[in-house]
Amino acid sequence: MEDMKPVPMNKKYFTPVVIGLAVLAVNGIIFLLARFAFGIGAVTNLDNQHPWGIWIGLDVAAGVALAAGGFTTAALGHIMHKDKYHAVIRPALLPAALGYTFVAVSVMIDLGRPYYIWHPLIMWNGSSVLFEVGICVMIYLTVLYIEFLPIVTERFIGRVKLPGILQRFNNPLDKFLRILDKGLEKTMFIFIIAGVVLSCLHQSSLGTLMVIAGPKMHPLWQTPILPLLFLMSAISVGFPMVIFESIITSRSFGLKPETPILSSLGSMVAPLLGVYLAFKIGDMVIRGTFVHLTTITAPSIMFTIELLFGVIIPLRMFMSRQVSKSPAGLLIASFLVIFGVFLNRLNNFLVAYTPPYEQQAYFPSFGEISVTVGFIALEILLFRLAVMIFPIVSVPGVSAQKTKYSVRGGIR
Amino acid sequence: MKSKLLLLIFICASLLNAQNKKVVHPNLSGVSCKTCHSCEVPTKENPCIKPCPRDKMISIDQSPEEGPEVLIIDKFKEQSDIYAPVAFTHRLHAEMSGMSGGCKMCHHYNPPGQVIGCSDCHELTRKRVDVSKPDLKGAYHRQCMDCHRSWSGKVECVSCHETIGTSKNKKKQPIGYKGKNRVHPKIITPDKIKFDTPKTSGRIVTFYHSEHNELFGLECQSCHSNESCVKCHNKNKSASLKVKTTEQKHAVCSNCHNTKLNCSSCHLDTAKPGFNHKVSTGFDNSKFHSKLLCARCHTEKGKFKGLNNECMNCHGKWTQENFNHKITGLVLDETHAAIECAECHLDKTFAKPVCNNCHDDISFPKNIPGKLTKKK
Amino acid sequence: MTNQSRREFLKTTALIGTAVTGLSSKTNGAQTNQLSEDRMGVLVDTTICIGCRKCEWACKTSHEMETAPLDSYDDRSVFNVKRRPDSKSLTVVNEYLNNETSSLPIDVKVQCMHCDNPACVSACIVGAFSKKENGAVIWDGDKCIGCRYCMIACPFQVPAFEFEVALKPDIKKCDFCFERTKIGKIPACTEICPVEAVTFGRREDLVKAAHHKIKNYPNRYINRVFGEHEVGGTSWIYLASKEFEELAFPKLGKDPAPGVSEAIQHGIFAYFVPPIALYALLGGVMWINKNKKIEQGEEN
Repeated sequence: MEDMKPVPMNKKYFTPVVIGLAVLAVNGIIFLLARFAFGIGAVTNLDNQHPWGIWIGLDVAAGVALAAGGFTTAALGHIMHKDKYHAVIRPALLPAALGYTFVAVSVMIDLGRPYYIWHPLIMWNGSSVLFEVGICVMIYLTVLYIEFLPIVTERFIGRVKLPGILQRFNNPLDKFLRILDKGLEKTMFIFIIAGVVLSCLHQSSLGTLMVIAGPKMHPLWQTPILPLLFLMSAISVGFPMVIFESIITSRSFGLKPETPILSSLGSMVAPLLGVYLAFKIGDMVIRGTFVHLTTITAPSIMFTIELLFGVIIPLRMFMSRQVSKSPAGLLIASFLVIFGVFLNRLNNFLVAYTPPYEQQAYFPSFGEISVTVGFIALEILLFRLAVMIFPIVSVPGVSAQKTKYSVRGGIR
Repeated sequence: MKSKLLLLIFICASLLNAQNKKVVHPNLSGVSCKTCHSCEVPTKENPCIKPCPRDKMISIDQSPEEGPEVLIIDKFKEQSDIYAPVAFTHRLHAEMSGMSGGCKMCHHYNPPGQVIGCSDCHELTRKRVDVSKPDLKGAYHRQCMDCHRSWSGKVECVSCHETIGTSKNKKKQPIGYKGKNRVHPKIITPDKIKFDTPKTSGRIVTFYHSEHNELFGLECQSCHSNESCVKCHNKNKSASLKVKTTEQKHAVCSNCHNTKLNCSSCHLDTAKPGFNHKVSTGFDNSKFHSKLLCARCHTEKGKFKGLNNECMNCHGKWTQENFNHKITGLVLDETHAAIECAECHLDKTFAKPVCNNCHDDISFPKNIPGKLTKKK
Repeated sequence: MTNQSRREFLKTTALIGTAVTGLSSKTNGAQTNQLSEDRMGVLVDTTICIGCRKCEWACKTSHEMETAPLDSYDDRSVFNVKRRPDSKSLTVVNEYLNNETSSLPIDVKVQCMHCDNPACVSACIVGAFSKKENGAVIWDGDKCIGCRYCMIACPFQVPAFEFEVALKPDIKKCDFCFERTKIGKIPACTEICPVEAVTFGRREDLVKAAHHKIKNYPNRYINRVFGEHEVGGTSWIYLASKEFEELAFPKLGKDPAPGVSEAIQHGIFAYFVPPIALYALLGGVMWINKNKKIEQGEEN
């Protein structure tokens, strides 16, 4: 096996795609400003019948699910100690950290009073699912940053070069980074396990979130095992997300995809998806909700698409050897899983939600879509920026000068 | 000694009690005390009255004239700063209630004997412990609105109340109050109603309203005992038309007619002419008997057929004392009074007198008899 | 790897464990929700309501909300559309046609039902909602962060959000006139109602009175008191002449409004045992795997 070392990417930042993304990001930010100036009602199509829209259903719920790559790879690489996957831990950690950051930002813009976002820290309601999700996400975000810190120390130890008058802080700062690095090395396992536990908790509780909506939620989705389904789907989407991101990053920076690692990652997806599918269909059979599939309605169509294209087809694809060996096959199969989980969250939070007194159906406004798209664009831009600054993407055959700081995160 | 005294007191008390019962409820016709009282011996101090609404409703029946003319409802003067008190035309409403249940329409759960006002049971303050019956304000408004909104469709406060501040009406009279002698306008009754029934044969039922109240002497209340104002006062007529069962449709007729048998006596294929005693029975009652109630001759209730139409059937024991001959057109003056009935009325039916025993042969009653031909 | 780090590992785990257990006892304490025997309620008799909408006016006036003049409430054309309580009116009256028994329409007042086991109280992330001893479910504006999860949770779709307010939007809903009842007054709507179609009293008495009415007037009412058992009971209970679902009441079961959500939540967090167990399990797995690696290394 080639020696893989993570290094900062050295490429031009701006490409036509990047500029296009920047435009989308700016458009989103404009609507975001409008939301703060004129209120949520001015920008969104939300009303008393539909209190939550795509900012929660997509940006937050789907965002959390799709950032599951972080904890699944951490569990695989560190807890199960499969060292060969260390190359994908960092590329999985960064989107997770970025993703959760944007989840937090999305929650904030959707809050009526974003400046009170700290309230749950001191005002507790133990029976509130949202409280648990909120606290878990807050702690997990911190954990993710802590897990990311070694990458920062690695990047800057011995290279702190502050400009001008700040030069005199160069030495103390370097010393501080070294102490931090040493401390982190000894305690990192706490945060890694905590990260996995916290993820399991809030990924599942995200499902419990909608249980309280009771009869307001379409029976195809409303089930007491929602938390279990959410957890299982989050675990299933973790590796496909890593595969997808890895292939896209490789293509974007003109690198060779790490197909062997990705293939073996992919081989783990099928059993996970299979268990998820079994539970989903079992739940449907036990509760007898399949009768709702016999009529053609928006929910029944969405449910079928979700199950067929998001679970069954990619499951079949991941089971095929041919698919798991080719980057294109992996890319498509992974995309379908991602799409499936994305659609599942959208369905659970928006399609399934039927208010008892509905005057008109909810469809996101241009402003809402703009902000969501803008955030995704911004995320990609920041991802690109981060991999150019920090050693994240592993590149084969680079002479390893700073071995000590090159592979980070596990108990050594 | 002491025990005797106690016994005496007890007897006195029970006597007083028995008297009380009569004073408070003089017309306690068959109503059990238990209907309203929860204990065996209710006293004035402890009447142990069952809370309303009670299971059985008893009420009183008085003529409208016995009640007050106008009531000023101003118990809420202190509470309300929006609307002025209302003068309630009690007598007018009492009269109008005649066709729809009478006093008990409003005076529900009223002990027999004396009429008690709303405030005797319904509390003045809304914040109260006993929530089984409405407070006074609620009770008043429920009674009013129950009918008012049904026939006018309006619930505006200003249809009865003046708004305080804009009120020029010092006497606090209700809106539209036009003085004491106001009565419900005369109800124009139909002469006949032709019912088009769903029956295939005998579709038409012709009902002569005027006959029933004029000829048969039925009071309005005998049929219209449970009418609401909406029966006439309704802007949305079709909405008030109820879907009735066959039994409900016949109920009002079957009080007198047997609706189970002989459908064809009412159900015909064409409109039925009005009742004519002469045509139907051969006995012309239009001359002398038109003012009589049916029951004067048809004494057996529900049986109208088979009555002998000879005068003697009813008038068998006529004497000059009990028969006013004047009614036949001939005043029995001194001369005639002295004659025996049979002198003129040769047959026993008394149908036609014979005058030519004494007079010229001009027949009575078309012309008065001619010159006296025979002197007695 | 040394023994030291292993000991460290255990020590830290134990430390976190104790910290978290301490935390959990606090959260569990806040959830106990004892219902008072003397909690108040309102009995709404929809067969009596005349649809004069004075309650709407009184509600707005007593909450110092903007309102049209009183006489404008006589306009009955508002009944052409079915309305819902929103941020500008905490209660509304809707009118339904009464097809069979009578030409009179049925008027139904709508407001917060003040559940005995409120979903909003269970759901609120910061505990801004609370069920008070007198039965009221009220909202604390100082705590609310505007997440609108209460609106997702409420089975009656009652809490309304000021979507048009940019800076400090409120959640608006009927507060059972908490400020008025505190000083011995009765809720504004129950005070103004001319026919007392809304009766304020002890919930227990009202349930009794409602059943008495049904017994006395079996033709007037259907044999059901809405809110007696629905979602575990509500402070506001309703009587009607026809099925409540035909009067746009939601079809709900007898289970408390928060449903299984609280059971799941308390199951996952039963004294923080499951999370700590998971933590310990993962730690154990990590430890074993690491030792395996070391042994393999030593053998090589």
